[in-house]
Amino acid sequence: MPVDAALLEILACPNCKTPVRLVKEETALKCDQCHRVYPIKDDIPVMLIEEATVEP
Amino acid sequence: MALFEREDNEYGGDVATRALSVAAVETHFVERVYGKLSKVYDIVFGPTLHPGRLSALEHMRIQPGDRILEVGVGTGINASLYPRHCHVTGIDLSRSMLDKARERVAREGLQHVRLMEMDASSLTFADETFDIVYAPYLVSVVPDPVQVAREMRRVCRKGGRIVILNHFRSPNPVLSRAERAISPLTVHIGFKSDLDLPGFLAQADLQPVSIEKVNVLGMWSLVTCLRA
Repeated sequence: MPVDAALLEILACPNCKTPVRLVKEETALKCDQCHRVYPIKDDIPVMLIEEATVEP
Repeated sequence: MALFEREDNEYGGDVATRALSVAAVETHFVERVYGKLSKVYDIVFGPTLHPGRLSALEHMRIQPGDRILEVGVGTGINASLYPRHCHVTGIDLSRSMLDKARERVAREGLQHVRLMEMDASSLTFADETFDIVYAPYLVSVVPDPVQVAREMRRVCRKGGRIVILNHFRSPNPVLSRAERAISPLTVHIGFKSDLDLPGFLAQADLQPVSIEKVNVLGMWSLVTCLRA
Protein backbone atom coordinates (compact mmCIF):
# COMPACT_ATOMS: atom_id res chain seq x y z
CA MET A 1 0.00 0.00 0.00
CA PRO A 2 1.59 3.32 -1.02
CA VAL A 3 1.78 6.25 1.35
CA ASP A 4 -1.69 7.72 1.73
CA ALA A 5 -3.38 10.56 3.60
CA ALA A 6 -4.24 8.33 6.55
CA LEU A 7 -0.60 7.38 6.99
CA LEU A 8 0.63 10.95 6.67
CA GLU A 9 -1.73 11.89 9.46
CA ILE A 10 -0.07 9.54 11.95
CA LEU A 11 3.55 9.68 10.76
CA ALA A 12 6.14 11.85 12.45
CA CYS A 13 9.77 12.76 11.80
CA PRO A 14 11.99 10.42 13.87
CA ASN A 15 14.12 13.42 14.81
CA CYS A 16 11.54 16.12 15.61
CA LYS A 17 8.37 14.03 16.12
CA THR A 18 6.56 16.59 13.96
CA PRO A 19 4.48 15.82 10.83
CA VAL A 20 6.12 14.98 7.51
CA ARG A 21 4.84 15.66 3.99
CA LEU A 22 5.21 13.95 0.61
CA VAL A 23 7.83 15.46 -1.70
CA LYS A 24 9.66 14.56 -4.95
CA GLU A 25 6.58 13.22 -6.72
CA GLU A 26 5.67 11.14 -3.70
CA THR A 27 9.01 9.32 -3.56
CA ALA A 28 10.10 10.83 -0.25
CA LEU A 29 8.84 12.33 2.99
CA LYS A 30 10.13 15.63 4.30
CA CYS A 31 10.18 17.21 7.73
CA ASP A 32 9.92 20.99 7.41
CA GLN A 33 11.45 21.52 10.83
CA CYS A 34 14.83 19.75 10.46
CA HIS A 35 14.72 19.60 6.62
CA ARG A 36 15.41 15.86 6.64
CA VAL A 37 14.11 13.91 3.66
CA TYR A 38 13.22 10.26 4.22
CA PRO A 39 13.22 8.07 1.10
CA ILE A 40 10.35 5.77 0.13
CA LYS A 41 11.87 2.60 -1.32
CA ASP A 42 9.53 0.18 -3.12
CA ASP A 43 6.52 1.76 -1.39
CA ILE A 44 8.19 1.34 2.04
CA PRO A 45 8.99 4.61 3.82
CA VAL A 46 12.42 4.46 5.48
CA MET A 47 11.92 6.37 8.72
CA LEU A 48 15.52 6.17 9.91
CA ILE A 49 17.54 9.28 10.72
CA GLU A 50 20.75 7.73 9.37
CA GLU A 51 19.10 7.02 5.99
CA ALA A 52 17.77 10.56 5.60
CA THR A 53 19.33 13.40 3.66
CA VAL A 54 19.16 17.02 4.77
CA GLU A 55 17.81 19.28 2.02
CA PRO A 56 17.06 22.98 2.45
CA MET B 1 29.22 -19.78 10.29
CA ALA B 2 28.71 -16.13 9.44
CA LEU B 3 25.36 -15.92 11.20
CA PHE B 4 27.06 -16.39 14.55
CA GLU B 5 29.91 -13.97 14.06
CA ARG B 6 29.91 -10.78 16.02
CA GLU B 7 32.46 -8.16 16.92
CA ASP B 8 33.48 -7.51 20.51
CA ASN B 9 32.37 -3.91 20.44
CA GLU B 10 28.82 -5.02 19.77
CA TYR B 11 28.33 -6.18 23.35
CA GLY B 12 26.66 -3.57 25.49
CA GLY B 13 23.24 -2.60 26.80
CA ASP B 14 22.47 -0.33 29.71
CA VAL B 15 22.33 -1.25 33.38
CA ALA B 16 18.56 -1.77 33.46
CA THR B 17 18.69 -4.14 30.49
CA ARG B 18 21.54 -6.12 31.99
CA ALA B 19 19.43 -6.59 35.14
CA LEU B 20 16.70 -8.21 33.02
CA SER B 21 19.02 -10.43 31.03
CA VAL B 22 22.68 -11.39 31.23
CA ALA B 23 22.93 -11.03 27.47
CA ALA B 24 22.98 -7.88 25.39
CA VAL B 25 22.38 -7.39 21.69
CA GLU B 26 23.01 -4.35 19.52
CA THR B 27 20.87 -2.91 16.75
CA HIS B 28 23.31 -3.35 13.87
CA PHE B 29 24.00 -6.90 14.94
CA VAL B 30 20.28 -7.72 15.00
CA GLU B 31 19.83 -6.14 11.59
CA ARG B 32 22.64 -8.27 10.19
CA VAL B 33 21.36 -11.50 11.72
CA TYR B 34 17.88 -10.94 10.30
CA GLY B 35 19.34 -9.93 6.96
CA LYS B 36 20.67 -13.48 6.80
CA LEU B 37 17.65 -15.13 8.41
CA SER B 38 15.16 -13.58 5.99
CA LYS B 39 15.65 -16.37 3.43
CA VAL B 40 14.96 -19.20 5.84
CA TYR B 41 12.84 -17.59 8.58
CA ASP B 42 9.46 -18.97 7.47
CA ILE B 43 10.81 -22.51 7.16
CA VAL B 44 12.68 -22.49 10.47
CA PHE B 45 10.32 -20.47 12.65
CA GLY B 46 7.05 -20.79 10.71
CA PRO B 47 5.20 -23.87 11.97
CA THR B 48 6.84 -24.15 15.44
CA LEU B 49 5.79 -20.70 16.55
CA HIS B 50 2.45 -20.60 14.73
CA PRO B 51 0.06 -21.61 17.58
CA GLY B 52 1.26 -18.55 19.52
CA ARG B 53 0.50 -16.29 16.55
CA LEU B 54 -3.05 -17.64 16.32
CA SER B 55 -3.63 -17.17 20.07
CA ALA B 56 -2.28 -13.63 19.85
CA LEU B 57 -4.80 -12.77 17.12
CA GLU B 58 -7.63 -14.01 19.34
CA HIS B 59 -6.43 -11.93 22.27
CA MET B 60 -6.37 -8.76 20.18
CA ARG B 61 -10.19 -8.88 19.86
CA ILE B 62 -9.98 -6.90 16.63
CA GLN B 63 -12.98 -4.69 15.88
CA PRO B 64 -13.88 -3.39 12.39
CA GLY B 65 -11.78 -0.33 11.56
CA ASP B 66 -9.19 -0.97 14.27
CA ARG B 67 -5.72 0.45 13.63
CA ILE B 68 -3.10 -2.17 14.42
CA LEU B 69 0.65 -1.75 14.67
CA GLU B 70 2.79 -4.87 14.33
CA VAL B 71 6.27 -4.16 15.68
CA GLY B 72 8.80 -6.49 14.06
CA VAL B 73 6.61 -7.51 11.11
CA GLY B 74 9.50 -9.53 9.66
CA THR B 75 8.58 -11.53 6.57
CA GLY B 76 4.92 -10.62 7.08
CA ILE B 77 4.11 -14.09 8.31
CA ASN B 78 1.12 -12.72 10.29
CA ALA B 79 -0.15 -10.44 7.54
CA SER B 80 -2.75 -12.79 6.09
CA LEU B 81 -4.15 -13.57 9.57
CA TYR B 82 -5.60 -10.08 10.07
CA PRO B 83 -9.22 -9.53 9.05
CA ARG B 84 -9.60 -7.22 6.04
CA HIS B 85 -11.76 -4.77 7.97
CA CYS B 86 -8.81 -3.46 10.02
CA HIS B 87 -5.81 -1.29 9.10
CA VAL B 88 -2.43 -2.87 9.77
CA THR B 89 0.90 -1.04 9.85
CA GLY B 90 3.93 -3.34 10.02
CA ILE B 91 7.38 -2.02 10.90
CA ASP B 92 10.78 -3.66 10.89
CA LEU B 93 14.42 -2.61 10.99
CA SER B 94 15.59 -5.30 8.57
CA ARG B 95 15.27 -4.36 4.91
CA SER B 96 15.69 -8.00 3.83
CA MET B 97 12.79 -9.10 6.01
CA LEU B 98 10.66 -6.17 4.75
CA ASP B 99 11.38 -7.14 1.14
CA LYS B 100 9.96 -10.59 1.89
CA ALA B 101 6.95 -8.98 3.56
CA ARG B 102 6.36 -6.69 0.58
CA GLU B 103 6.40 -9.65 -1.80
CA ARG B 104 3.93 -11.49 0.41
CA VAL B 105 1.58 -8.52 0.77
CA ALA B 106 1.56 -8.05 -3.03
CA ARG B 107 1.19 -11.78 -3.75
CA GLU B 108 -1.73 -12.20 -1.38
CA GLY B 109 -3.35 -8.86 -2.23
CA LEU B 110 -3.33 -7.65 1.37
CA GLN B 111 -4.42 -4.07 0.77
CA HIS B 112 -5.10 -3.47 4.44
CA VAL B 113 -1.42 -3.96 5.33
CA ARG B 114 1.25 -1.26 4.92
CA LEU B 115 4.95 -1.56 5.70
CA MET B 116 7.59 0.81 7.02
CA GLU B 117 11.27 0.64 7.87
CA MET B 118 11.68 1.91 11.41
CA ASP B 119 13.53 1.36 14.67
CA ALA B 120 11.20 -0.19 17.28
CA SER B 121 12.90 1.77 20.04
CA SER B 122 12.06 5.06 18.33
CA LEU B 123 8.64 4.75 16.70
CA THR B 124 7.83 7.63 14.39
CA PHE B 125 4.15 7.82 15.19
CA ALA B 126 2.20 10.31 17.26
CA ASP B 127 1.06 9.33 20.77
CA GLU B 128 -2.03 7.10 21.03
CA THR B 129 -2.20 6.39 17.29
CA PHE B 130 -3.20 2.71 17.40
CA ASP B 131 -5.97 0.59 18.93
CA ILE B 132 -3.75 -2.49 19.15
CA VAL B 133 0.04 -2.70 19.32
CA TYR B 134 1.53 -6.15 18.85
CA ALA B 135 5.10 -7.43 19.12
CA PRO B 136 5.45 -11.08 18.06
CA TYR B 137 8.76 -12.72 18.96
CA LEU B 138 10.52 -9.38 19.10
CA VAL B 139 11.47 -8.21 22.59
CA SER B 140 14.20 -10.85 23.06
CA VAL B 141 16.03 -9.69 19.98
CA VAL B 142 16.17 -5.93 20.50
CA PRO B 143 19.00 -4.15 22.36
CA ASP B 144 16.63 -2.39 24.79
CA PRO B 145 13.38 -4.35 25.34
CA VAL B 146 12.05 -1.87 27.91
CA GLN B 147 12.48 1.12 25.61
CA VAL B 148 10.62 -0.77 22.85
CA ALA B 149 7.77 -1.61 25.24
CA ARG B 150 7.57 2.03 26.39
CA GLU B 151 7.30 3.14 22.77
CA MET B 152 4.58 0.54 22.14
CA ARG B 153 2.71 1.93 25.15
CA ARG B 154 3.10 5.51 23.95
CA VAL B 155 1.60 4.90 20.51
CA CYS B 156 -1.29 2.79 21.86
CA ARG B 157 -4.50 4.65 22.73
CA LYS B 158 -5.85 4.56 26.27
CA GLY B 159 -7.94 1.42 26.65
CA GLY B 160 -6.17 -0.16 23.69
CA ARG B 161 -4.40 -3.52 23.77
CA ILE B 162 -0.69 -4.20 23.87
CA VAL B 163 0.06 -7.81 23.01
CA ILE B 164 3.54 -9.26 23.47
CA LEU B 165 4.41 -12.77 22.35
CA ASN B 166 7.81 -13.87 23.55
CA HIS B 167 9.99 -16.28 25.46
CA PHE B 168 10.73 -15.17 29.02
CA ARG B 169 12.82 -16.72 31.76
CA SER B 170 11.07 -19.69 33.35
CA PRO B 171 9.84 -19.32 36.96
CA ASN B 172 11.13 -22.89 37.49
CA PRO B 173 14.51 -22.47 39.27
CA VAL B 174 16.22 -25.30 37.35
CA LEU B 175 15.04 -24.11 33.94
CA SER B 176 15.74 -20.52 34.90
CA ARG B 177 19.37 -21.35 35.74
CA ALA B 178 19.70 -23.23 32.46
CA GLU B 179 18.31 -20.26 30.51
CA ARG B 180 20.70 -17.85 32.15
CA ALA B 181 23.55 -20.26 31.47
CA ILE B 182 22.84 -20.57 27.74
CA SER B 183 21.94 -16.92 27.26
CA PRO B 184 25.49 -15.83 26.36
CA LEU B 185 25.33 -18.51 23.64
CA THR B 186 21.87 -17.79 22.21
CA VAL B 187 22.74 -14.11 22.05
CA HIS B 188 25.01 -15.05 19.14
CA ILE B 189 21.87 -15.59 17.08
CA GLY B 190 20.47 -12.32 18.42
CA PHE B 191 18.26 -13.84 21.10
CA LYS B 192 18.11 -13.29 24.87
CA SER B 193 16.86 -16.57 26.35
CA ASP B 194 16.62 -15.31 29.93
CA LEU B 195 14.49 -12.15 29.84
CA ASP B 196 12.70 -11.64 33.17
CA LEU B 197 8.96 -11.07 32.58
CA PRO B 198 7.89 -9.39 35.88
CA GLY B 199 10.89 -7.04 35.78
CA PHE B 200 10.31 -6.26 32.12
CA LEU B 201 6.62 -5.43 32.65
CA ALA B 202 7.32 -3.29 35.73
CA GLN B 203 10.06 -1.27 34.00
CA ALA B 204 7.88 -0.74 30.94
CA ASP B 205 4.92 0.31 33.13
CA LEU B 206 2.68 -2.36 31.63
CA GLN B 207 -0.02 -4.14 33.62
CA PRO B 208 -0.98 -7.48 32.08
CA VAL B 209 -4.62 -8.58 32.02
CA SER B 210 -3.59 -12.09 30.99
CA ILE B 211 -0.45 -14.19 30.60
CA GLU B 212 -0.76 -17.52 28.80
CA LYS B 213 1.74 -20.18 27.90
CA VAL B 214 1.78 -21.03 24.19
CA ASN B 215 3.64 -23.15 21.61
CA VAL B 216 5.59 -26.37 22.16
CA LEU B 217 6.10 -27.16 25.88
CA GLY B 218 4.52 -23.81 26.77
CA MET B 219 7.91 -22.19 26.50
CA TRP B 220 6.55 -18.95 25.09
CA SER B 221 4.29 -16.45 26.82
CA LEU B 222 1.44 -14.47 25.36
CA VAL B 223 1.13 -11.31 27.44
CA THR B 224 -1.92 -9.09 26.92
CA CYS B 225 -2.03 -5.63 28.51
CA LEU B 226 -4.70 -2.94 28.52
CA ARG B 227 -3.18 0.50 28.05
CA ALA B 228 -4.03 2.51 31.18
